[in-house]
Amino acid sequence: MRGITKRFPGVVALADVTLEVGRGELHAICGENGAGKSTLMKILSGVYQPDEGDLEIGGRPVRFSGTRAAERAGIAIIHQELALVEDLSVAANVFLGRETRTSLGLLDDPAMHDACGRLLASLECQVSPATRTGSLRVGDQQLVEIAKALSLQASIVVMDEPTSALTESESARLERTIRRLLAGGTTILYISHKMDEVFRLADRITVLRDGRHVRTVARADTTPREITGWMVGRELADQECRQTRTRGAKLLEVRRLTLPWPEHPRGYRLSDISFELQAGEILGVAGLMGAGRTELLETIFGAGEPTWTGEIRLDGKPVRFGHPREACAARIAMVTEDRKRLGLFPDLDVAGNVSLCSLHEATRGGLLSRRREEELVAAPVRETGVKTPGVHASIMGLSGGNQQKCIISRWLLTQPRLLLLDDPTRGIDVGAKAELYALIDRLCRAGLGVILTSSELPELLTLADRIIVLAEGQLTAEFSRAEATEQKIMEAATGGWPDRLGSSRPDVAGDDRPGLRLVPGPRDDRPPIGKDR
Amino acid sequence: MPQPDTAKSTFLLRPGEWALVLAIVIAIALTAFVDANHSYWFRPLESVRDIARNTALLGIFALGATVVIIAGGIDLSAGSMIALSGTVCATTMLALAPAQMMGFKPVGGVAVAVGCAASLLAGFLVGTLHAWLITAVRLPPFIATLATLVGLRSLARALCESSTAALTPTKSALINISDPFFKTVRDNVWIPVAVFGVLAIVTWILLTRTVLGRHLHALGGNEQAARLAGIRTDNVKWFAYCFGAMTASLAGLFYMANESVAAPVNQGRGHELNAIAAAVVGGCSLAGGVGTVPGTVLGAIFLRVVIDAVSKIIKTGADVYEGLIVGIVVVIAVTLAQLGQLAKGGRRLLPGGLGLCAIPTLAVLCGGIVSMTAGGRAGMASAAGAALLLGFVRFWESRRTP
Repeated sequence: MRGITKRFPGVVALADVTLEVGRGELHAICGENGAGKSTLMKILSGVYQPDEGDLEIGGRPVRFSGTRAAERAGIAIIHQELALVEDLSVAANVFLGRETRTSLGLLDDPAMHDACGRLLASLECQVSPATRTGSLRVGDQQLVEIAKALSLQASIVVMDEPTSALTESESARLERTIRRLLAGGTTILYISHKMDEVFRLADRITVLRDGRHVRTVARADTTPREITGWMVGRELADQECRQTRTRGAKLLEVRRLTLPWPEHPRGYRLSDISFELQAGEILGVAGLMGAGRTELLETIFGAGEPTWTGEIRLDGKPVRFGHPREACAARIAMVTEDRKRLGLFPDLDVAGNVSLCSLHEATRGGLLSRRREEELVAAPVRETGVKTPGVHASIMGLSGGNQQKCIISRWLLTQPRLLLLDDPTRGIDVGAKAELYALIDRLCRAGLGVILTSSELPELLTLADRIIVLAEGQLTAEFSRAEATEQKIMEAATGGWPDRLGSSRPDVAGDDRPGLRLVPGPRDDRPPIGKDR
Repeated sequence: MPQPDTAKSTFLLRPGEWALVLAIVIAIALTAFVDANHSYWFRPLESVRDIARNTALLGIFALGATVVIIAGGIDLSAGSMIALSGTVCATTMLALAPAQMMGFKPVGGVAVAVGCAASLLAGFLVGTLHAWLITAVRLPPFIATLATLVGLRSLARALCESSTAALTPTKSALINISDPFFKTVRDNVWIPVAVFGVLAIVTWILLTRTVLGRHLHALGGNEQAARLAGIRTDNVKWFAYCFGAMTASLAGLFYMANESVAAPVNQGRGHELNAIAAAVVGGCSLAGGVGTVPGTVLGAIFLRVVIDAVSKIIKTGADVYEGLIVGIVVVIAVTLAQLGQLAKGGRRLLPGGLGLCAIPTLAVLCGGIVSMTAGGRAGMASAAGAALLLGFVRFWESRRTP
């Protein structure tokens, strides 16, 4: 790709970017959100046409009018948001648009089924080709996308942040697949935020910033630190939010919380969870996807299934919220996991998104006042450091980090005492993450109790005072900040089974089983705050 | 990346709404010239009164449809609700004052008031039923209101027949209304117009200046997020569907007064689609979260002006073509709203084989309509013209994007 320029109305997404990728190479492309990584890849795969510049494959100039043309040239892209038809079977998805047909012109399902089965087997994927795609876990869906790319016999595969929704073990499986593809001579362009992945896999690394090519280096010649520095345009100081925070009174107490899951063989989403939280403390909740992190927060917030048993005490008083409204009234706030799906209102402007939970404060004589609303949102927007052209700008025009700050602002207006953060930095670029860490730390120092889940362990290790680990709906370990290491947390999160994919029903119920509990001693006698007490 | 704020009003109205104003003016001017009787020139007042009455009646429940659509739902039952409303009012009055009703005499203020209140109560109950079916039974709004669309008309007819059988000598499929109150309403066009105006202002304030209005937008924009933000989404939906059904029952009273009869067989039939069309032409998104009161008001005016134009230009059997014209106009209005994107995004209006087949389809449609209204020769000519024009569009598009 040489001298690629792409303009969108009002913004130059790519300016004169040149990229050379060798055959059979894994070329990582790094950059903050909005740096132009995805745009570049969409040009390569025919989604967009470049305004300037040329593409050459194997020395021959090419020009793609659409994704079909790119597919014919052997380029397959696996988008960040998976593009699968949920109601069709896995096999139907893999061959979608290129269905195998019998001599009569009818669909040849058995042939597609077999071919798909072979592809999946080669990817260590144990799902049947006849499964409905929507019922698969995200990690398996990702493999279906890869199977699709393989069925195209693509020589160039583009992966746009493939691990952003994967658990660690699924990521490991994906890595093995990638290595096999590379060994088979496939070229892979790999977009990722995650430095550890990039440095494990990549042969060369290209950094983009603000639509420009910053540089391309071989992996051996650089360090993650250097790459991150190029991405944000400055050296990032290692985050240190771990200076002592002072804790207040006990805020939340969860005792033997169990959430049944009747239609699942395991029988429960959460089983027998107990923990405490003090004001001015950040409690990290670690766990793989599906471990029950979101369910735990939703149950506390009154947003989940109302069928739970056990006890939740707020300030010592037992509570049971039937609707998020009641939790708000008790001054609990929850920043949901999936910003676009569960947090943002695309049709409301920035002010409307921020003021939503405290609108009654923006009224005068029963009617909303535009000026009072502006005054109301000004303070939290300033405090959280939202960068926006104005409070009446469209929320969808902001970056992910700024959108997230808007949602935190929304909840700060309700003056919460307990803040539930469900994977708040997912899909947010490095610079904005650091700002969010500082913000969360500041809020905690102001006396809020915070429960934070994250799919990135370094994030929990940076922020949390204590970390509890969930595995398959059970609490398997609790660490103080000093005890916790990524290794220990991962062991607890996988529940002691290195390959948990095969075991849909782990039997972790017995307290007498050794090796499952990383913190010794009966659970209920354990000091709740770890070793600081 | 900062984006221009396109959703905000430029001057009083949004750009799309100004375009609608322009379209209304053009439609009126066109009718004034093309109409062989030139009734817009010679009897302007009569025309204004006609359009105003029809716009007010359509607009009243189009406002209800707007609220439901903004909340992310759809109410298909408005037409049947109109029929039920008239029947409930007439039946109530018949029960309270059977002798006067049958003797075509005034039934008294109390009976009228109770009758109207019963209609609005029926609207509330139907709205509650919708909200219950949608939130508690978890039916999709389309299914729930489709069921009441067919069900309520049947109910209205059954109510009409059984009440006339019980209270009058003969079973009847309609109840005549002769009370002077309804005559006054029929003869004074300013009454429905005033009611429509007040309702429009109230709805506009509701949607733009109240917490509930903001919650309606939030619900339609992202229902799950709204619930997680602590909004009682079920209650907001309850309000929306009650508002939709009660505006329809209010309109039903006016339709009944207008025709001096409660006739559940045909009253309001198909009107639900006109209301949805008015809202959509006025800029509502059926995906929810987007829509304005001025847009819907202009949409209703536009629709009625176009229907009036059809009836003025095509002298005989204009009602036959009414649906056809409304359908075409809705498609064109919504397409025009997307034209900007169409040009910018490199999307094609007539792509591939589908586009190729669409050219003769549209040409035949166009020629057919013209030949039925203006004769075969004009039909042939317009079909050929349409085919040429569309062919040129396709050629131009294929040149633009290789």
